[in-house]
Amino acid sequence: MTVWRSRVRLWWAIFRVSVEERLVYRGDFAFGTLMRFLPMLTQIFLWWAIFDAMAARPGETSDVNAIRIKGYNLHDMIAYMLLVMLARAFSSMPGLTSGIAGSIQKGEIKKFLIQPVDMLGSLLIQRIAHKLVYYLIAIGPFALVFFLCRSFFDAGFPAPDQLFGLVLALVGSFLLGFAMEACLGLVAFWLLEVTSLAFIFMLLTFFLSGHMFPLDLMPAPLDRLIGMLPFQYLAYFPSAVALGKVTGEDLVWGLVIQYLWVIGCWVLCRWLWVRGLVRYGGYGG
Amino acid sequence: MVTRIAPPEKPWRLASPKTMPLIEIDQLSKHYQVYQKQEGLWASVRGLFHRQYRQITALDAISLQVERGEFVAFLGPNGAGKTTTLKILSGVIHPTSGTCRVMGHVPWQRANAYRRRFALVMGQKNQLWWDLPAQESFRLHQHIYQIPAEQFQATRDELVDLLGLAKLMRQPVRELSLGERMKMELTAALLHRPEILFLDEPTIGLDVVAQHNIQQFLKHYQEVRSITILLTSHYMKDIEALCQRVVIINEGRIQFDGSLAEIVGKFDQERIVSLRLADTTGIADLQQFGRVTRSQPPQVQLRIPRSQVTSALTEILNRYQVDDVSVSDPPLEEVFAHLFTQGREATDQGASAPKEDMAGSRRLTGEARH
Amino acid sequence: MADDVRTKPQQSANRIVNEPIPDATAGDGITGTGPLVYWRVFRTFVRNSLVRSMGFRANFWLECVSSVCWTIMNLVFFKIVFSYTDSIGRNTGWGENEFFVFLGTTWIITALIQTFVMPNAQEFSELIRTGHLDFALLKPIDTQFLISFPQMVWSNLANLFLGILLVGYAVLRLMADESNPLTLGFTQVGLYLFFILCGLVILYSVMIAMASTSIWLGRNQTLYTFWFYLTNFYRQPMEIYQQGMWGWTLWGFFTFVIPILLVVNVPARILAEPLRPGLDERTWSLAGLTLLVTLLMLGLSRWVFQAALTSYRSASS
Ligand SMILES: Nc1ncnc2c1ncn2[C@@H]1O[C@H](COP(=O)(O)OP(=O)(O)O)[C@@H](O)[C@H]1O
Ligand SMILES: [Mg+2]
Repeated sequence: MTVWRSRVRLWWAIFRVSVEERLVYRGDFAFGTLMRFLPMLTQIFLWWAIFDAMAARPGETSDVNAIRIKGYNLHDMIAYMLLVMLARAFSSMPGLTSGIAGSIQKGEIKKFLIQPVDMLGSLLIQRIAHKLVYYLIAIGPFALVFFLCRSFFDAGFPAPDQLFGLVLALVGSFLLGFAMEACLGLVAFWLLEVTSLAFIFMLLTFFLSGHMFPLDLMPAPLDRLIGMLPFQYLAYFPSAVALGKVTGEDLVWGLVIQYLWVIGCWVLCRWLWVRGLVRYGGYGG
Repeated sequence: MVTRIAPPEKPWRLASPKTMPLIEIDQLSKHYQVYQKQEGLWASVRGLFHRQYRQITALDAISLQVERGEFVAFLGPNGAGKTTTLKILSGVIHPTSGTCRVMGHVPWQRANAYRRRFALVMGQKNQLWWDLPAQESFRLHQHIYQIPAEQFQATRDELVDLLGLAKLMRQPVRELSLGERMKMELTAALLHRPEILFLDEPTIGLDVVAQHNIQQFLKHYQEVRSITILLTSHYMKDIEALCQRVVIINEGRIQFDGSLAEIVGKFDQERIVSLRLADTTGIADLQQFGRVTRSQPPQVQLRIPRSQVTSALTEILNRYQVDDVSVSDPPLEEVFAHLFTQGREATDQGASAPKEDMAGSRRLTGEARH
Repeated sequence: MADDVRTKPQQSANRIVNEPIPDATAGDGITGTGPLVYWRVFRTFVRNSLVRSMGFRANFWLECVSSVCWTIMNLVFFKIVFSYTDSIGRNTGWGENEFFVFLGTTWIITALIQTFVMPNAQEFSELIRTGHLDFALLKPIDTQFLISFPQMVWSNLANLFLGILLVGYAVLRLMADESNPLTLGFTQVGLYLFFILCGLVILYSVMIAMASTSIWLGRNQTLYTFWFYLTNFYRQPMEIYQQGMWGWTLWGFFTFVIPILLVVNVPARILAEPLRPGLDERTWSLAGLTLLVTLLMLGLSRWVFQAALTSYRSASS
């Protein structure tokens, strides 16, 4: 019991310090939050122009909203973009990979060998703190944007079971995002050039997670491949759940697979950490 | 250990009495607003909307004149304002108030004509390209300062020769030792033959040998080229080795300005007499001559007021069997420590006795500005 | 070793004495700051950055891969889009090939910016944070020039070649178009290149002004992110915004306030002539505006830069 209490106290301390650290840089913070909404605007206008051009084709009903691409009409597309933003607010981990890689290369991880603090655990808590602070500020703009764009959600507010699924999917996407990026950071035990690798990874995520466009649009050979990768659970899956494109049994299975990926990546993470430390120790620190 | 410094010739006053001083600082002040980080979670949240600032007075109306050819040392504890002074003189930052002219220029206007005539070397910041051999940075300097090719080569070769850098020219700067890097920095700074050299802690972090090398180099270079050097340091060795004039800064104010010998004369009223006795009987009686600071028979160390040293020594040599005797000044460190504390007492007695932080270097003059 | 150095000064003392000792007036004599100086310094920057990237070859190739990766993803996305539609926007003329001219131009401009401007803007923020800007301020040469060009990330140039390839391919397809072929003269190609240059200057000005703000804001981690988002705006034909109140507001903002919409649109319009035959009036007026805006932005960035410098605090060593 006392072991747990002291552990919880430690977690709380890490959490608090992380929150304070984030709040110091006010200027950056407000700026960064604001910026997140910019690319969405372009997306909306781009999709509008695409659907509009399709509606103008001879033989089409010239009503933009009647046009569908793979089951998505313009409203769905915009709603999807909004939801993807929400999902990425949970699953993206800026600076995690490079942070881990940096502390490995600079030898700062030594302190985790000495102190009774688990590095991955404390990083996770820090990340939760950072995210919570982020939501604290971002919830205003997010709520505003979703409210202004409520007419794009043709299906209306999600039903309770769907909402529950969405929450699980978002939490899952956070954990999965953390585990995947942490794995990549730990590769620094073996490779020097992790920063470039992380950048390539970020680009791939943008594409493969459905951040760029709904994965349903992918042409034939690509979609099969993407279905077998974990990336879709970072953005596409939660959004599709919220849009009501994944329901019932599919939803349950989707969540099961997502959390299996979470467990898988977390185990990989642990394994890399342990192997990495052995390797690190082999060098004599 | 410390032998007497040459009698004060006051070369800075002899230099050029008719012309304007090379550097003229008048009532120069610099304040910094710093964001006061709040303790605690709730305070940080509030800090998002309402920030508390605190004012730090880095320089408090200092006035100073330096003549051509002088070698002046700025001395003071951490946070005294030495670096700030050099940064203002080299035009890197603007002062809050006061005026300053260097060779007729206002430094922070950063006229090219001014910037060609001085150099700044900082012990804790390096300007050479990290991943490249220093040679490449030198070449860049050549083009930036528009140094004619022959002059560039001649100057560089001399400096490289003087500092013994020939073998290191092809090595990336990141692979050089701290001392070697500092020598490279000096070379880069002197390539355009500046008339004034500002040196901010050039020997910081170096081992004794490297420190010595750099001191030797500076001494030699200053003598031969008769350039003006302002150096900040908190190594007494640097100052002993190099400077005719010492300016002591503490808490943004000038506490003392004069020759090293003057300081020693003014603040150090005692000398250290070390004895080795052949016969230790009556050793306790020695304290009648002065303060006994160390007693490890047969060795004894005494502090004797300067005026009584001769008579006391005669008396001691008469009364005791002495194997060895030496007389020295108290270490400079001690003199300076004494000076700094004096300065602080003076400030404390002022009207609004401000609070000190641990380093005793920052004065808080303002609080909570939005 | 210590002895070695101690004796050295005596040996070479004579040599130094023989050199002319600079006197007070000598410094003012050297005043020639012609463009030649700037060219020489720039050449040294190029040289140094090349030497440096040769030192990190593995890194260089990885970076090439990552920038090409991004570009290919872009292409795939628009290939998918054009499998559903045949133009972007109603009656805008941005069909697949016209749009690929646009896309290729975007790559060219982005590649040049990421090679020459972006690294320096980032480095500038870093110089402010660490206080190393001190050294740039000491040099007898324009400070803005000195911080604008020292770093070049050559791996980002990979996309320049992809961009040229794509533009070339799309232009050839357009010229071969039977129903409405594109005809190009030398002037048009010249104008295209000239307006690419204008676009680069505009982006450079925006970046430098933005980076200068880190003198006031403390640190500016988000600079890169901001850049990433900003590129989202200039990467689309401006017609997509010309719809509804919000659209026009955005269009106005990114045409007149932060004029990045002109960066790619103007040269791409000039080369691809989306509303063939010939260049329409709108293209010409946009081109005129771009000229004006380029000069204005350059002046503005310089002003912001100078203003920011007076607040520079030189983070303590
Ligand atoms: N960029 C800065 N921002 C805030 N305070 C500063 C800055 N630079 C110096 N200071 C403060 O000014 C005072 C003098 O600093 P400095 O001149 O660097 O002292 P030193 O004598 O050790 O070189 C110190 O209290 C320092 O904290
Ligand atoms: Mg200092």
